[in-house]
Amino acid sequence: MASRLIRLALLLTLVAGCSAEQPAATPAFNSADVMFLQMALEQIAEGDQVAALTEARATDPALREISTELRTQWHEEDGTFRRWLLGWQQPLTAPDSADAHEGHGALHMLRPTDVTELKTANPFDRTAISLLLGHLGNCVETSRMEQTAGAYPPTRALATTLTTRRQSQIQRLLKLAAAS
Amino acid sequence: MRRRFALPALTIAATAASLLVAVAPAAAHGYISSPPSRQANCASGAVANCGDIVYEPQSVEAPKGSTQCNGGGSRFAVLNDTSKAWPAAAAGQTVTFNWVLTARHSTSTWEYFIGGTLLASFNDGGAQPGATKSHTVSMKGFTGRQTVLARWNVADTNNAFYSCVDLNIGGGSTTTPTTPPTTAPTTAPPTTAPTTAPPASGTWKAGTTYQVGSVVTYNGISYRCRQAHTAIAGWEPPNVPALWQAV
Repeated sequence: MASRLIRLALLLTLVAGCSAEQPAATPAFNSADVMFLQMALEQIAEGDQVAALTEARATDPALREISTELRTQWHEEDGTFRRWLLGWQQPLTAPDSADAHEGHGALHMLRPTDVTELKTANPFDRTAISLLLGHLGNCVETSRMEQTAGAYPPTRALATTLTTRRQSQIQRLLKLAAAS
Repeated sequence: MRRRFALPALTIAATAASLLVAVAPAAAHGYISSPPSRQANCASGAVANCGDIVYEPQSVEAPKGSTQCNGGGSRFAVLNDTSKAWPAAAAGQTVTFNWVLTARHSTSTWEYFIGGTLLASFNDGGAQPGATKSHTVSMKGFTGRQTVLARWNVADTNNAFYSCVDLNIGGGSTTTPTTPPTTAPTTAPPTTAPTTAPPASGTWKAGTTYQVGSVVTYNGISYRCRQAHTAIAGWEPPNVPALWQAV
């Protein structure tokens, strides 16, 4: 009995080992998937600076709550994005991202000066809401691009989830903006 | 096994690299978040059935010089729909407009209009906006329900970004009825007490309950009531086609 179990376990291990290698022969991702993941990682890194500051400094508890939710979701999303890129043997940042920053791409990014401005902003909450709304608007554009152009089904599915998550946060931030 | 993975992966990536430009996200840019613009009210869910604008309130981009809320053309035409129940934010004679920017285009001017009247113009002389942008604008004596058209004129392209903001100037905060006039009214719209009556001539009066078919005059024009309601400031007959039809 014991030996049969061991044999079965061994067999399962072998099967699992094979199946892990199996999909490698047919990579199902495309360049849009890679670009999306690289851009999304960068957007998380930028957005987290604003969200962290807002979580610590905002007067409105509803605004702090949104920031905490964003940071929690971003942390989890960040791990998934990295696993996919590493699994595909793709770089975590776009090789030409330095060039992109020089050109039009930089217009869409949060800049170090934005974080500096936020630190001294008065009223703080209004500036934080505007910065987060702008940044999340860009996040939605990135995930909607993946929904349209991506190939790897799990990545596309997650992009759909991200659009829903960011839209929900944008809706709440817009309501805070309208009420202020 | 690992080698077999790497080769096709790279081939696919290389083949697809030429598609990079095609799938780059649309370059989108900015809108007014408070008082909420029409696209902000769509994106926040305050106004339903707006179409794709809910995903990109920042993308109302069109050639400069339009006086339409969508900047002209057919895209986002829902923003021009005056029969839609756009909420009007309560405002005084001085209003601060706050922009959300998703891209920092170098800017020539920011302009604010009511009808054909230029309320204010701010010249940035080609500078890039900072983290946020806001302008404080005088309403120049306009009162009641008004639509402010804001134009963000980009310095280095032919385009501008458009945002329309519905205001109830000098009145209480109010929303227009959401029930379409074609269906029989089942409930009366909310009866918020008016705080300020707009200066106007005629028999129409805030606080009055009107039945379907009631006829009033307002600034020399007669209107017939299309839906039973109790009037409030901001629901003047010319402002709410869902309630009043000119006769």
